[in-house]
Amino acid sequence: MSEVILEVKNIKKTYDTKTVLDIDYFSFSEGKVYALVGPNGSGKTTFLNILNLLDKPDEGQIFFWGQEINNKESNSNSDILKIRRRMTLVNQDPFLFHSTVYDNLAYGLKIRGIPPQVQQERIRGALNKVGLPGFENRKAYQLSGGEAQRVVIARALVLEPEILFLDEPTANVDQRHLEIVEKIIQKINEELKTTVILTTHDLSQAYRLAEEVISLLEGKIIREVPENIFRGELIEENGRKWFKVTEDLKLAVVTEKVGLAYLYIDPRDIILSYQHFQSSARNSFSGRIVKIAEQQNHLVRLEVEVGVRLITIITKESFQKMGLNLGSKVYLTFKASAVKIY
Amino acid sequence: MDFISEGVQKAFQLFFSFDKEVFEIVLLSLRVSLSAILLASLLGVPLGFLMAIRDYWGKKFTITLVNTLLALPTVVVGLIIYSLISRRGPLGTFGLLHTPSAMIIGQFVLVTPIIIALTHSAVQGIDRRVRNTALTLGATEAQSAWAILKEARYAVLAAIITGFGRAIAEVGAAMMLGGNIKGSTRVMTTAISLETSKGEFGFALALGFILLLLALGINILLHYFQSRSV
Repeated sequence: MSEVILEVKNIKKTYDTKTVLDIDYFSFSEGKVYALVGPNGSGKTTFLNILNLLDKPDEGQIFFWGQEINNKESNSNSDILKIRRRMTLVNQDPFLFHSTVYDNLAYGLKIRGIPPQVQQERIRGALNKVGLPGFENRKAYQLSGGEAQRVVIARALVLEPEILFLDEPTANVDQRHLEIVEKIIQKINEELKTTVILTTHDLSQAYRLAEEVISLLEGKIIREVPENIFRGELIEENGRKWFKVTEDLKLAVVTEKVGLAYLYIDPRDIILSYQHFQSSARNSFSGRIVKIAEQQNHLVRLEVEVGVRLITIITKESFQKMGLNLGSKVYLTFKASAVKIY
Repeated sequence: MDFISEGVQKAFQLFFSFDKEVFEIVLLSLRVSLSAILLASLLGVPLGFLMAIRDYWGKKFTITLVNTLLALPTVVVGLIIYSLISRRGPLGTFGLLHTPSAMIIGQFVLVTPIIIALTHSAVQGIDRRVRNTALTLGATEAQSAWAILKEARYAVLAAIITGFGRAIAEVGAAMMLGGNIKGSTRVMTTAISLETSKGEFGFALALGFILLLLALGINILLHYFQSRSV
């Protein structure tokens, strides 16, 4: 059983009057990979910045190796600085100093007062880890987006952090680099046993990389694994907005956005019926039940194949009353406003 | 029209014979303007930097004020400093009037706003992510501020060079505060002005030529740093 490295209790953060983060309790264990998922504005980045001690919560406590961090004072306070220097955050849109790759990697080491000899060795090692050996003298502005992303990961790695935070590590890279970056993250965790906490939009990536997926919605951790998340394209037809999940499956949505997007439908917002019924809800699809699973709190989780698999959660009572079985043909109905786009 | 060709001839003669008087004037010019720019940089760079990264009450006003001071006429600077350091002025006891020090003060007042304003806009133009990146890598607030200044280094150097160009080329304050005393406060611009009025075109042209060369050199440097800062 690995030890708890980072722990938060009753963390609250408010901007103006909007609560952006509200977490009762969460603990991160040493050496594990965690993925924070959730739509934009769900508090992922705020949570990451608070964990990394760059931002302060309005309320609550943070514990590092069981010791409470008194972050009421400024983040340059020497005690906090010491802890802050044991972890590193790689931003979503990384910035490289206008200098060489070497200077970029050396920055964090220099301010820690690490001797030049050691700096050199560590930098070579970190560049090897991200698959960019010999890149020391390259100018930062000559790097491609994917290379830059690997350099910023290397810049974090030279510091040998106990916790590595990655905010959307693959948001700005191409497909080829996406795979490379994912491999690097896995390697860091396996070889260096670094605890990794990353955020991502891509649920499949979260499951590929993380041992634990934490789902945030409106600043709160939602215990259920987020379901009904799809990637697709927002299109406009006859003045109405549709979300094209597949060629044959279009969902009515309410949004101002266009182009590629993700959508999320709360399984509890989907109504299940045997017959198609007349209602104000614009989305209604028929399909067969392909999976039934009982859940806690007298709930039943059903997977229905309607072109994609939609998940709906109903009470055990309704489930029994309707006499549902595997293969039952049902209709799923939900309002356009129940489809959350991000 | 002969006086022009004669003047050019004389100018080349003076220039290539490394005329002692000409080069003493050039050296004094450099000494005065370099001292002024050094002092102005020591004050102006930190001020411009703080104006860019700190939020404080009256920030907009100070920015407007500094930008107004960019257009400060050199004779007005000369007049104000003169009234302060002349025998009857509040600083008269120091006997600064008609010394190189007075000229340094005048040029310092003239170029400090330039350095503040250009440093301010240079730092303002630096990517907002620099501070955050430095902090994520374990920097203190002071270290992150230094990182921002380092990112702005070429633009700040360009600011200093621009200030130097203004200092070495101005004539009003140097004339009023230095008094154009031969061998003591005569600099290139005041000498050109005097020799021209005396009809000594050769001498004036030689100095004008050197001043132009300096301006050229300054602009090449400026261009170099500006292209690096992009």
